[in-house]
Amino acid sequence: MSASRLEAVTTRLAQAGECGIAPYVTAGDGGLGRTLAVLHALEGAGAACVELGLPFSDPVADGPLLQAAALRSLDSGTTFEGVVDLIGRYRSAGGALPILAFSYANPILSRGAEEACSRLAEAGADGLLIPDLPVEEQACIAGAVQAADLANVFFVTPTTADARIVRAAELSRGFLYVIGRTGITGTRTELGREGSEFLARVRSLTTCPLGVGFGINGPAEVAAVAPHAQLAIVGSALVEHVHQAALGSSPDQDIDAVCARAAANFLTQLREGLKP
Amino acid sequence: MSHERFERPTRFAAGEESFGGVFAPETLMDNLFALEAAWIAAGEDESFGAELTRLLETYAGRPTPTYHARRLSEAWGVDLWLKREDLLHTGAHKLNNTLGQCLLACSMGKKRILAETGAGQHGVASATAAALLGLECVVYMGALDAARQAPNVDRMRLLGAEVCIVEHGQRTLKDAINEALRAWVTDPEAHYVLGSALGPHPFPSIVAGYQEIIGHEARAQFLSAHGSLPDLAVACVGGGSNAIGLFRGFVDDASVELVGVEAGGVGSEAGQHAARFRGGRPGVLHGCLSYLLQDEDGQVQATRSISAGLDYPSVGPEHAALRAAGRARYESATDEEALAGFKDLAAREGILAALESSHALGWVRREREALAGRSVLVNLSGRGDKDMATILEVLAPDQDGEGS
Repeated sequence: MSASRLEAVTTRLAQAGECGIAPYVTAGDGGLGRTLAVLHALEGAGAACVELGLPFSDPVADGPLLQAAALRSLDSGTTFEGVVDLIGRYRSAGGALPILAFSYANPILSRGAEEACSRLAEAGADGLLIPDLPVEEQACIAGAVQAADLANVFFVTPTTADARIVRAAELSRGFLYVIGRTGITGTRTELGREGSEFLARVRSLTTCPLGVGFGINGPAEVAAVAPHAQLAIVGSALVEHVHQAALGSSPDQDIDAVCARAAANFLTQLREGLKP
Repeated sequence: MSHERFERPTRFAAGEESFGGVFAPETLMDNLFALEAAWIAAGEDESFGAELTRLLETYAGRPTPTYHARRLSEAWGVDLWLKREDLLHTGAHKLNNTLGQCLLACSMGKKRILAETGAGQHGVASATAAALLGLECVVYMGALDAARQAPNVDRMRLLGAEVCIVEHGQRTLKDAINEALRAWVTDPEAHYVLGSALGPHPFPSIVAGYQEIIGHEARAQFLSAHGSLPDLAVACVGGGSNAIGLFRGFVDDASVELVGVEAGGVGSEAGQHAARFRGGRPGVLHGCLSYLLQDEDGQVQATRSISAGLDYPSVGPEHAALRAAGRARYESATDEEALAGFKDLAAREGILAALESSHALGWVRREREALAGRSVLVNLSGRGDKDMATILEVLAPDQDGEGS
């Protein structure tokens, strides 16, 4: 399937004039078994696709909540091969959500972009997002993502020049990742007039489906983003909600099941923001 | 105004290989474009250059001397010369860069600078330049480094800087840079004064450009005093700004061997040193592709060195390119060898060197038989006052150490 699985979802949303929810999950936060349960729960609760974060030791684009999640994941022993295996298990169990692997550049480049991309695609990943790889460096991975038929997704922000937005959109498949405002992940925000104007500017420059992220905490933000986007991306808020559910569980409970329920409930709440 | 492209090469090439680049989050890209534009404009502006020269000469104390260390030469059997960056205001070469970058910040209309620091020397130099030029200053410093370089923390605060202690990760330079980069993303009205010749383009070129005055001065001074060029130019390499500053003065002189000395720490196993060229392989950290200490999964490895300024898992990309081109070689000195270099210099020349610079001395000392009779120019990049607590702890464990 690969890139086409993601493109099918975002194209359908665009044609229907709808917005879906794209949750971000740090792979291996609480162990890979927990992530697997969370993925199935998110699918059951109606996610449109999922961003699966491969943990990195030095996540400079992330705020404290996602940094902490990455370190918890690394401390629990998560490896690249472990995440590949997780994706394979999700697919074997019938998991059908498009999966975008979200990784900093080094874990991909140090393995060799070709090998990393082919391992991810063979396991059932559909796309690749690299937060520290701007379009200026896309040549590092272009051949590898194409050979593996992964959808490469690039980022744009309110400070990105028009010509670079066009370029990022041309290079992206599935959707263009629009960071609604300047800042690091997990900063509480509202869309505001500037945000709306920025989204309108992006929309005027490309027909590529748009995924809008950074700062979505609840249904109100989803509702603000939905008219402008095909995907509302939620990261830190979900990761922290699930983590708190794990911390709040009692010893006699199945923590993975608790976390899966928490993820599903959070997604269901967010989807309230999609209702007209 | 948003920018569309970089005007200068973003990589340092060596044949088929190249290092550097711009591996930065999109949220930082416009800051980097704007910085490059300001840097190019400043380079073409005679009044900017004149002001920087005025500050370097009348405030910072340039030129620093190149000193013939005769007693230590005699002891080691090596013709040893020292470029005295330890005599620069604030006690290290770092001020060359912070004066340049703070003037750049002013030219961009910025009112505030952010900086990271390992040994504290760059933090002090940033706080100093900020005070001089009327800028606010926030310095990020790992908690481990703040503990072992306490005098520099006090110095920064007395100079009016806010010092943010970074409590996560390894709590050293790497984590301070992570935090400073994040702060810059959320505070684009500030200029980030990166302290070493690393990070995303244009930083490696900017920092090297402000530090190359070391090598140009040293070359002229050495020629004038000695009548010929040195056989070797040697410098310690953390991020590598003092080394690239020295090397750039000699890179076109094929007869001068360029040697960078990394931190060998306490052993050759992963986590016991910061010798990137021996234990690392190409990788991306903090925006640039260079040699990186990393595990097989691409996770950045812990480093260890007695010297906070060398305790960093990556190295400036221009060094990676010089090495790939065969123009420079990179060696390492252990904690113990650095301390031996420190002691000999103190006893024979009356100079307390920074632990960073002591690695360059430690390597020369270890290799003194192979270097016998050759002329060796070492960049004494900083003074050792900041390291007294660490050094006394190691050198005099049997004494009370309480002092009076």
